[in-house]
Amino acid sequence: MSAKLDLTLKIWRQDGPKDRGQFKTYQLKGISTEMSFLEMLDILNEQLIHLGEEPVAFDHDCREGICGTCSLMINGQAHGPDHKTTTCQLHMRKFHNHDTIVIEPWRATAFPILRDLVVDRSAFDRIVSAGGFVSVNVGNAPDGNSVPVPKVNADKALDAAVCIGCGACVASCKNASALLFVGAKVSQYALLPQGQAERAQRVQKMVAQMDKEGFGSCTNTSECEAACPAGISVVNIAQLNREFLRATITATT
Amino acid sequence: MSGVRQALLSNWFIRALSTSVGQKLVMGATGLLLCGFLTVHLAGNLLLFQGAEHYNKYAHKLHENELLPVAEAGLLVLFVLHIILAFSTTRMNTGARPIGYREKQSKLVGGLEIRPHNYMFLTGVIVLGFLLLHLSDMRLAEWKMRLPYDESMTPADHALMVLRDPISATVYILGSLVLGFHLLHGFQSAFKSLGLNHPKYTPFITKLGVLFAIVIGVGFAWLPIWFFLLKK
Repeated sequence: MSAKLDLTLKIWRQDGPKDRGQFKTYQLKGISTEMSFLEMLDILNEQLIHLGEEPVAFDHDCREGICGTCSLMINGQAHGPDHKTTTCQLHMRKFHNHDTIVIEPWRATAFPILRDLVVDRSAFDRIVSAGGFVSVNVGNAPDGNSVPVPKVNADKALDAAVCIGCGACVASCKNASALLFVGAKVSQYALLPQGQAERAQRVQKMVAQMDKEGFGSCTNTSECEAACPAGISVVNIAQLNREFLRATITATT
Repeated sequence: MSGVRQALLSNWFIRALSTSVGQKLVMGATGLLLCGFLTVHLAGNLLLFQGAEHYNKYAHKLHENELLPVAEAGLLVLFVLHIILAFSTTRMNTGARPIGYREKQSKLVGGLEIRPHNYMFLTGVIVLGFLLLHLSDMRLAEWKMRLPYDESMTPADHALMVLRDPISATVYILGSLVLGFHLLHGFQSAFKSLGLNHPKYTPFITKLGVLFAIVIGVGFAWLPIWFFLLKK
């Protein structure tokens, strides 16, 4: 049975990167509990367009929870109150009639606000460009089973590789640290044979780029893990720390 | 200036120490080594409950050791590194989010209502204040900054005098408990910063950390509680 919700929204509005920005309050009536959170924002935007106002800018793409484009701090929680869920997969049935919902963009120096709720997450791209790949020539495909990969390592690498790069880890961290993201990227290669050749320089370059972008350091609060819609574990952070220590000690320069 | 910076960064150790990850590694390592110091320190202190003669014997043995200055220098290095890195990483962290959220809710399930990991810098600064007072009371007692001191006092007499001073006793009780709160997160976090997070050992380390924090916090606080409040 679908119920209808009347809601008060407090949304961060900012005209552009240089604008100071402020919260604006909007009233929405008759929102179906079957709607997704982004559909609720679509309804708001239709109303705003009717009134001749600027619609609220927010990031979204696949709306299936797999692309990592949507974001939003919803009542102070990255991607809203659900666990292992992106904003696009969050449904209005999680809210109550007459609720006030505060919607803010990810806030971090490394994620500058472009407009309203849209932030620039290209810092993540630059971290990956710094070393999150395999660029050595690995030759032709070897015979099956000639390169043994323990099942447990394959599983762990895949667990790390499911990161969708949405930035909820940074948004939820009190230090705006990107270590869960970078840890996942470093781990997924460190665990597999293809990643070995560039293992040491990868972690060093990615950490250097991460610091250059202005992310904070890690206090091991695990807030990132709790906020991650893809379920990336903080064991990847420890793996990165291990990789970094190993690279620092064994590198010849 | 940039030339100096370049020259420094050409050294691998300084380069590693300049990164956020390297700083946290050293933070964890120094933190754990300081935990070792706390353990030995508490063991020594508890001899006061055994009797003044035991405490005096231990104190004299300790101060007769020729290597004590070396140990003290090492301890100073640990403290200075831990404190400098605390300021350095905190500066990094506040710079990473200059404008905070209007509303922020944790998504963590369970745990304390007031989470120790959110107050590491604050509790650290409080412990530093406690440490400075403690150093002025004990290690630098000869300077007579606040409390009287003369050579004829035995170590136990001196310790009891300090513990019975109202200002010292109050600061020591609060400082010790805040230190325990700091360790509640610090102990287990240090292992993770050093890269040690393992499904088999981490749950044990986490529990050990809670036990360690309580033993250290209550253990140190117990001395002024006993000698100042209960056994006046």
